[in-house]
Amino acid sequence: MSFLVLDSLKKSFGQTQVVKDFNMSIEKGEFVSFLGPSGCGKTTVLRMIAGFEAPSDGAISINGRNQNTLKTNQRNIGMVFQAYALFPNMNVFDNVAFGLKVAGKSKPEIETRVKEMLNLIGLDHLADRYPYQMSGGQQQRVALARALAPKPQVLLLDEPLSALDAKIRVSLREEIRQIQRQLGITTVFVTHDQEEALSISDRIVVMNAGRADQIGTPSEIYNRPTTRFVASFVGTLNIIEATVIDPAANTVKVGENTIRLRESIGALKGGDKLSIALRPEAGSLLENAKGDTSLTGQVISSHFLGSVIRTKLEVGGNQISFDMFNSPDAVLPQPGETLTLRFNAHDFLIVRD
Amino acid sequence: MKAHKIFAWLAIAIGAIYFFVPLIGTFEFSLRMRRGIYSFDAYQSVFTDAQFRATFGFSMLMALVTIIVGMLLIVPTAYWVRLRLPQMRQVVEFITLLPLVIPAIVIVFGYLRLYNSSSWIPFTGSTQGTNVLLTFSYVTLALPYMYRSVDTAMRTIDVRTLTEAAEILGAKWPTIMFRCIFPNVMSGVLSGAFITFAIVMGEFTMAALLNRPAFGPYLQLVGANKAYEPSALAVIAFAITWLSMGLIQLVSRFSKLTPSRP
Repeated sequence: MSFLVLDSLKKSFGQTQVVKDFNMSIEKGEFVSFLGPSGCGKTTVLRMIAGFEAPSDGAISINGRNQNTLKTNQRNIGMVFQAYALFPNMNVFDNVAFGLKVAGKSKPEIETRVKEMLNLIGLDHLADRYPYQMSGGQQQRVALARALAPKPQVLLLDEPLSALDAKIRVSLREEIRQIQRQLGITTVFVTHDQEEALSISDRIVVMNAGRADQIGTPSEIYNRPTTRFVASFVGTLNIIEATVIDPAANTVKVGENTIRLRESIGALKGGDKLSIALRPEAGSLLENAKGDTSLTGQVISSHFLGSVIRTKLEVGGNQISFDMFNSPDAVLPQPGETLTLRFNAHDFLIVRD
Repeated sequence: MKAHKIFAWLAIAIGAIYFFVPLIGTFEFSLRMRRGIYSFDAYQSVFTDAQFRATFGFSMLMALVTIIVGMLLIVPTAYWVRLRLPQMRQVVEFITLLPLVIPAIVIVFGYLRLYNSSSWIPFTGSTQGTNVLLTFSYVTLALPYMYRSVDTAMRTIDVRTLTEAAEILGAKWPTIMFRCIFPNVMSGVLSGAFITFAIVMGEFTMAALLNRPAFGPYLQLVGANKAYEPSALAVIAFAITWLSMGLIQLVSRFSKLTPSRP
């Protein structure tokens, strides 16, 4: 049985339903990210797990125990907030010790655990500092230590990196993942940053309008998006409008190019329209590039972006972006030039709404 | 110097003269008790008066009780309005402003009508009861200042997130209130406390009409019967107010409780 089960969760605020029939099972020790745009309901689901919001319908269970009837302070859950939420009147030691004191632990026990936690986050030398004397990254690390100190059964991270600058975000997310692995704690991470979610999660839930559009590993989410929303939200994707030629042979036409898709195009008939997707990094312009399929079109624009060169091609009324790695002898394609982009047919995805 | 700067300085000078000249005059007059030379005889006379000590002590005690009762009422109210009932904010603000627009004499007559010795809740039937009623009336008078100072302090911290952070760590309401919220709004609580102290020390109407031996009625009594002592008392009353204001400044300046925010 799964460790954390969210069963048919629903949440309405007045007439607005913000979470619609959300189902999810999370295994013990798993790191799951809820990814989605603002207002998709990801934070509401997290707040329902924490007990800050009561579900309008559905059940939450942790380790087989229904949580719906438990108050927040009875759930033994740790949480890190976007705004750090350290107690300004307490120093680092007292902040980390807070949960342990509330639980009535003995003084030596508290001291040992706090030291252990501060050691874990590498801030044992700052035990006497107050929150206002520390940087954002340090404060968030203390918040993590505080959440972990009482040994919670689940750790919730509510966009903990959003308020930090880019460099700190990357280092802290790696640190969070390493600590999570080390402790083996079941973790739910809420973010709207796809790179964050892709880089540290065991599984990702892509949420859209109160529902889980797709649940899968980062690779599945990126390489095999199952809906148009997931395809457009995660990474950059070219959505190409194609026309079915032969449904039995899975062939479609884009401009003058005929493509044989690997995936079955299903119940569509010849002449029907179909949306297919292609990642910008999937193709190559090289003559000798591997690939069983090609698209020929005219260059609209080409931009040098440092490590990559991004070129836009016009193919049968579609604009297709593709990236190629920069090299010292790379030549920027010129607008109006005719180019052939080579790739494998299995790089194409059929996009369903 | 530009013309508008001259006018600005002129305005400041007029304001300062308007404020300081009567005060200097009062102070100078309070030193003239001994004929021909300046002395602190008026102050000595005030400080050695047993009635001064009794009324001053009574008002100090009332101020202290008012501050405690007021804070126990206002901090949780401001907290709940911020956390759970933001839609009630306007209503609570309006209620807390009422003592500014309703004269104290109207409030006290209302009290006397509601709580006289033949009413259902006969506060004025005993000395202790009247003292309790006086405390409540002082809390009412201090409400606009106390509520605002506490509410302003709460605005500087993220009350909701701090509450949730404490709650998820297992804390119950009393712990959240007294260990996480109260200490972080202490600068506001103290500001409100000092303002309340200044108000209670100088208040006349409530104490006089409830017939309690407070410092305000004593000031009036001395003013009506003596020459130099009222000036000395006025200077003392000003000093108390200034001390309270100075302490407010000190508390807000040296408050270490800077919120932790991204």
